[in-house]
Amino acid sequence: MSVATQIPTATHPQVMRHATRDDVRGAARALRRALASETMDVDAILSVCDLWSRAILDEPAREVPGTVFLSLWLKRGSLEALLCREFGDDHLAGSWRHEGRARLRSHPVGVVGHWPAANVEIQPLLSAVCALLGGNAALVRVPPALVDDVEALLAPLARIDPDGRLSRLLSLVSYEGTDHRCHETMARNVDGAMIWGGAEAVTAVRSLPFAHWARLAVFGPRTSLAVMDREAWQDEDDRGRWCIRLARDVWQFDQRACSSPQTLCVETHPGDDLTPLVDALTEAFNREQDLHPRESLSPDRVLAAARARAEHLLGDPRAGARFPAAPHWSILLHPAPEAGVCPSRPRPAQGRTLHVLPVRDAADAAALCDGDVQTVGLAFTDAEAERRLVTAAAARGVDRLVRLGAMHVFDSPWDGRDLVRPFTRIVRHSSSCEA
Amino acid sequence: MTDTRIDELLDGPAYGTPVAERGPLLLDLLRDQVSSAAARSPAYANVVRHWPVPLDEADAVADLPYLPVSVFKRNPPLALVPETDVLRELHSSSTTGQAPSRIAVDRVTALRMTRGAVQILRDFVGPERRPYLVMDVPASNAATTEVGARGAAIRALMPFASSVTYGLRADPSGESVPDVDVLRAFVDEHGDGPVLVYGFTSVLWTALVRPLAESGLDLGLPNVHLLHSGGWKKLAAEAVSKEEFTSATASVFGCAPDRVIDYYGMVENLGIVYPDCQFGNKHAPVTGEVIVRDPLTLAPVGEGETGLLQVCSVLPESFPGHLLLTEDLATVKMHDGCPCGRPGLAFRFAGRAPRTETRGCGNVDARRPHPLEVTTA
Repeated sequence: MSVATQIPTATHPQVMRHATRDDVRGAARALRRALASETMDVDAILSVCDLWSRAILDEPAREVPGTVFLSLWLKRGSLEALLCREFGDDHLAGSWRHEGRARLRSHPVGVVGHWPAANVEIQPLLSAVCALLGGNAALVRVPPALVDDVEALLAPLARIDPDGRLSRLLSLVSYEGTDHRCHETMARNVDGAMIWGGAEAVTAVRSLPFAHWARLAVFGPRTSLAVMDREAWQDEDDRGRWCIRLARDVWQFDQRACSSPQTLCVETHPGDDLTPLVDALTEAFNREQDLHPRESLSPDRVLAAARARAEHLLGDPRAGARFPAAPHWSILLHPAPEAGVCPSRPRPAQGRTLHVLPVRDAADAAALCDGDVQTVGLAFTDAEAERRLVTAAAARGVDRLVRLGAMHVFDSPWDGRDLVRPFTRIVRHSSSCEA
Repeated sequence: MTDTRIDELLDGPAYGTPVAERGPLLLDLLRDQVSSAAARSPAYANVVRHWPVPLDEADAVADLPYLPVSVFKRNPPLALVPETDVLRELHSSSTTGQAPSRIAVDRVTALRMTRGAVQILRDFVGPERRPYLVMDVPASNAATTEVGARGAAIRALMPFASSVTYGLRADPSGESVPDVDVLRAFVDEHGDGPVLVYGFTSVLWTALVRPLAESGLDLGLPNVHLLHSGGWKKLAAEAVSKEEFTSATASVFGCAPDRVIDYYGMVENLGIVYPDCQFGNKHAPVTGEVIVRDPLTLAPVGEGETGLLQVCSVLPESFPGHLLLTEDLATVKMHDGCPCGRPGLAFRFAGRAPRTETRGCGNVDARRPHPLEVTTA
């Protein structure tokens, strides 16, 4: 008998490393038994999450990239707002919601599998908590590169969920991405799946042999950009504040998340000098670098940054750039577009490399958007111009348009869809009894 | 003026100049070469203009603007001369699925390339001409205007050849196999005398050394100088270490192991090769420099540390290959004082930089149309 089949009484979940097919199957079965044995109401789940939000700010969890953000997200207030938006204000009471002569109530779909991407350390838990909030059990495949980080984040559950009421609904397995048999086994044993990652990964996962009733939600791959209107960057005080907010969005997740801004579209008029903006960005990037220096950087990411700098400058003699000798960050300034010419969206370089792209009208940035663009970070002083951009960008496929500095706030809807509700069954009761 | 100084360097010994003298000399020459290249290429000038350290404020070679070697994957190649002046185009041996580097070579650069390689190799094998056995098929060095990495390496040793023999032939399936009759004739004729052998490391191993070692054969060439290059990826996949390769190759050729010389080179850094000295270290010649950079800061690393390898060369005239950040790793053994007597940095090649980048939810490879876009499937 594998370890996985004995899971229900574990004090807190750990990641099962080098999991086999039997381990994965056993974990799924244990989760079903846990679901069948006792229900945990939403208030109890929120209470544990709220304690968890504080506990992960201690060592060693606080060292995991994105922990501060995860902590804010797990707070009762954040999750209650999410649930109220998706289910209505009376959802938290856990009772039936009346709708005309009928009444409605959500129930879990069962075991939800999670295939998070390997580039965002906190994503395995963000994804899992979405399923738990719906009353489901969560079976998470943790990419091997993230196992240590995820275990650091799980460790406080031993203290804050001592009887394991929430923990026994959570099982985490880790196996190589190339282990197709484990992927298949996991897919066959879940009732729904949240799938995150690049095109190749999500295509491979969604083609696994899921049960015909399984509900799939695919997130990514997407990219994001920021837009600043002319007034926002011409005012000296505003400029500095917006640049600090943008730098935070660039730094978070090392600019590798789908919500990371890769390009800043700047509204400019002929003759405008962008030097003050580039100076403010430089100051903000240096400040962020001082606050959050990297501890390591793989050589291929250094090479990617060097390549982006060189290709940009070699590609057009009018192109500008600002970067330090170290690979900490790069600002790649594109030449102003000629009248009537719509610039194309620069290829994302990541690694804290921001393309700065002048546009004639801030609303023109919508023309750069397509289904690839998930989030547009907004820095506007002109509300009417912002509304014009939002209307056009939303029609072209953008799912989130938020204030600069809040681009990574993991909120519902995400990628244009609810996070919890898709993994619940909304049960309708229309009474047969005479009133 | 710069040309004259480069000619003087090429006329002297490859490794004679002490570090204290070489640093300022190279900084001066490289600054002039970068400046001259920028004057001929607006694109390159744009890189130089935006470099964090202005050219005239650079205190060391490490401050000068470098390019990642991948910029030479462009087609047409990144050149400093008009197409009409390009004598030939050198191509790197690209990894599967990758575009090769393309290096535009004019007459001046071609001449310096030959002189630079000869200057270095002479220091390792001596100046004499001798029978040259190329462990490759003749097609690797076909006379065309486009030359591959293997062809370039074969040609680099021609100045040491009194005659040239190709030791492999293509079998009907296109595989390179030993040309037994040719090899037997070469050994019969030159077995006791000094000979030169060159082969691509993986070709040499797969087509000759491994099969002959298994059968216990000894070619009987005790006075050979065998040079090989081209990387260890394929051998590493077979778990063949450098020591094992050297030992087996020496056995097959019937020579001492120190006559088997591994050297590192790349078409983008033409005219400069980095053979192992007798202590297993590599050294930059007087016409160039090597900098090993910390991936986290891109600052030069200390002794015993490993980082990204940057190669520097004063030789190129037709392409901006003076300061190149390679995709290879190297370890600094010492900054000066290698017991072999060659001054300056002693380093060892530490393999290709591993590709660790995870394709995540932010990696958009294929464009997704917007909802109102009319597309055809």
